[in-house]
Amino acid sequence: MAKKSGVNVTAAYTAEAVPLVARDAAADRDEPGGNVASAVAVRHLSKSFGPIAALKDVSLDIGSGEIRGICGENGAGKSTLVKILTGVYRPDAGNVLIGGAAVSVATPRQAQELGIAIVAQELSLCPDLSVEDNIWLGSLHVPFLHKRPDLRRRAAEALALLGAGHIDLDTPVTNLSMGERQLVEIARLLTRDARVLILDEPTATLTDIEIERIFAALLAVKREGRSVVYITHRLAEVYAICDRVSVLRNGELVTTTSLKGLDRSALIELMLGRPSDEMYPEEARARGAPALVVEGMSLPGIVNDFSMKVHRGEILCIAGQVGSGAAEIVAALAGLVHDAGGRVTVNGRPLKLGSSVRAAQRGIMFVSGDRAAEGVFRRLSVLQNLVATRLRDHSLLGFLRGGALRKAAAHLAARVGIDRRRLNARAEELSGGNQQKLAFGRSIERQAGAILLMNEPTRGIDVGARAEIYRLMRGFCEDGYALVMASSDLEEIVGVGDVVITLYRGRRIGHYRRSEVSMHRIVADITHPRETTP
Amino acid sequence: MTDQVLPTALRYPWRVPLPHSRRGRTLVAIRVAALLALIAIAAATPGFFTAVSLFSLLNTTSFIGCVAVGMTFITLSGNIMSFALSVTLSTSGIVFMAVLPWGLPIAFLVALAFGAGLTGIQGVAVGYFRANPVIVSMAALALITGGATLITQGQGVYPQGDAAAALKGRLLGIPMPLAAFILTVVLAQIVLSFTRFGRQLYMVGSNWRAALAAGLDPARIVLGAYIVAGLCTALAGILMAARYSSGDLELGLGYDYSAISAVLVGGTAISGGEGSAIRSLVGAFLIAVCQVLLLLHGFSTQIQYLAIGVIVLFVIMLQTLADAD
Repeated sequence: MAKKSGVNVTAAYTAEAVPLVARDAAADRDEPGGNVASAVAVRHLSKSFGPIAALKDVSLDIGSGEIRGICGENGAGKSTLVKILTGVYRPDAGNVLIGGAAVSVATPRQAQELGIAIVAQELSLCPDLSVEDNIWLGSLHVPFLHKRPDLRRRAAEALALLGAGHIDLDTPVTNLSMGERQLVEIARLLTRDARVLILDEPTATLTDIEIERIFAALLAVKREGRSVVYITHRLAEVYAICDRVSVLRNGELVTTTSLKGLDRSALIELMLGRPSDEMYPEEARARGAPALVVEGMSLPGIVNDFSMKVHRGEILCIAGQVGSGAAEIVAALAGLVHDAGGRVTVNGRPLKLGSSVRAAQRGIMFVSGDRAAEGVFRRLSVLQNLVATRLRDHSLLGFLRGGALRKAAAHLAARVGIDRRRLNARAEELSGGNQQKLAFGRSIERQAGAILLMNEPTRGIDVGARAEIYRLMRGFCEDGYALVMASSDLEEIVGVGDVVITLYRGRRIGHYRRSEVSMHRIVADITHPRETTP
Repeated sequence: MTDQVLPTALRYPWRVPLPHSRRGRTLVAIRVAALLALIAIAAATPGFFTAVSLFSLLNTTSFIGCVAVGMTFITLSGNIMSFALSVTLSTSGIVFMAVLPWGLPIAFLVALAFGAGLTGIQGVAVGYFRANPVIVSMAALALITGGATLITQGQGVYPQGDAAAALKGRLLGIPMPLAAFILTVVLAQIVLSFTRFGRQLYMVGSNWRAALAAGLDPARIVLGAYIVAGLCTALAGILMAARYSSGDLELGLGYDYSAISAVLVGGTAISGGEGSAIRSLVGAFLIAVCQVLLLLHGFSTQIQYLAIGVIVLFVIMLQTLADAD
């Protein structure tokens, strides 16, 4: 059963661009506007914010029972499109059509009544209520006098349809994993007769096994004749699950095409509007002295007896799924986990963990994977973000030297590729990729032997900016620094790691040099007990 | 030169960055309209622009203003407000009066140190122990009130002689409270705009976790903000005690509410990381103008409280709408 309905993510990653899903014939119809009934369509949609055109004359048809991928760089117009479909924004021009008739989607509630639903990341569930209560909470389909057994049966049916029959209706949602919560969210939308489900980067916080479950659920939704709009930066997922893909660039629809015969680099080229550069940089040329040595590190309840050694000039990648402890190890090295234990040596001198101030003094810089919460100071200017960690170098008796600071910021902006005319813009006005460059710029050019720690360096960052971040990472190492990153993105791990350490449930499994590493091995390691996977 | 690192709002006070969205622009329009209405009402009110009412306006505003500047540091650091500043003010005044027999300079410094110590302890609880700032300040309010009542037996301190006369005079022709207030604003703004501590305060207030991840020491910076708040408040306490020639727990009663009102009306973000001392100055004056206008139109004190409550609520709602934009 699992083999038939499930999608093997592992295989999708490894077998480049060869989709494993047996597609139904409907998937390959390519004619725009299709004569097959489209579930939802948009015609000539345009939307501007001030002088910026976010969407220009976009027309799309999404068929019943279709899973449609939407791809594009950040700022291509994907989220504007979604917000128009879900009634958050109103278009300046153009229509939304349902069943061929133009409809007004002026409010999110109207969108719901029309059967267009967005799968929220988790926020819309009440953690302390049971699964059943969450499914029916706020539903318009629950009459004041209702038959509880009937509702219970329908909730169970919806979950079973999604292959999530094992979830107990009485469990509080807080006990569920992220993936299970998403399944509950989808079940909740199904009970509300959603005809079109929109998923925006649904897998960012999920483990591979959970991703497979979500994919199986989406295929079940598709078999029901409902449609799915699937937005992601992870191209492997587009190939794994989508029937067709629509590519947006600078607010315009580039094309809607079947994925058959469209290889990965062609898709990237469509998104970027130019041939894709080499995505991943060269491997480390020179390997210097050990910069960071970790022995017997333990994080209570998360990581046990973890050891590693990073040399100057190399990128060490800790590969692990969400929850494996990889991200926590990196955060602990940055001094952000207070009960971390173990012997850590930085450039030959021991470092006591547990204080980010102490770590920073020793040249350990940390770039968080959670940009909004820990990465940048969103309300402060680009300039202030860039010089945040080096105020001491540019001040006299506690007073800042403005000219020197500005010069330093301009230099750093040039170094990481941020337009210096944007120095006074607020950080939150920048795209995700540029915000990551800010966090990066803050961390470079420290004392010799500095160590850069990164968690999920390219989460939520589009293809174009991603290659740039990788180049910056490599450039940083060539200056003689060491870089440690935790990642759950397999392509990235294989692409940039000079040394890869695999982690499963807080235990170190494997250690590979770049020449030995392969996706198969990493996947086998980080999903260790293969036998038990469903 | 140095002006290049100032926040944009300071560098181009005349160039207000207009938001792109319609809602954002509407909100700006509401603020401008409210300001114009206030000026129009003031101009139409007989007696408002006479020297006497303007002078009393400036004087009363000065005490609240000093507390508001101190409160600005707490708000900027991301810790909303402290309910304990009014008792910090009154107890600093009592300490000042009690130590006055040893001489004015010593009394002045001891009172300042006392105020800074009181808020500094709260700063330690909030910064190093990550305790909820509002709860901490409420506990501090109870503790300080209780302790002070116990020690003073509820009596005010009335020193003999007039050692504090120097604080009742004028500085360059400006009444002492106003001069002290202006000096406080200027110093506070210099600290906020031109020092490392000021810059780090904005960082911590805007995002504690990011500051921690960047290797700053947010706890120490929050402690610093509380100490500055204590210094400003103690200064107000000293001046008030000198003015009324007594130290009393009743001094400055309700000033923490007036101060946070001034901070918010001035446009400092309640969520921290955005605002300035100058904004609090503007806020304090706006509120004072409203109060004087109501007074001149014959409204009672109760109505004045009501009006200020409405204004603060209105400002908070505007701010939330603008943030959500």
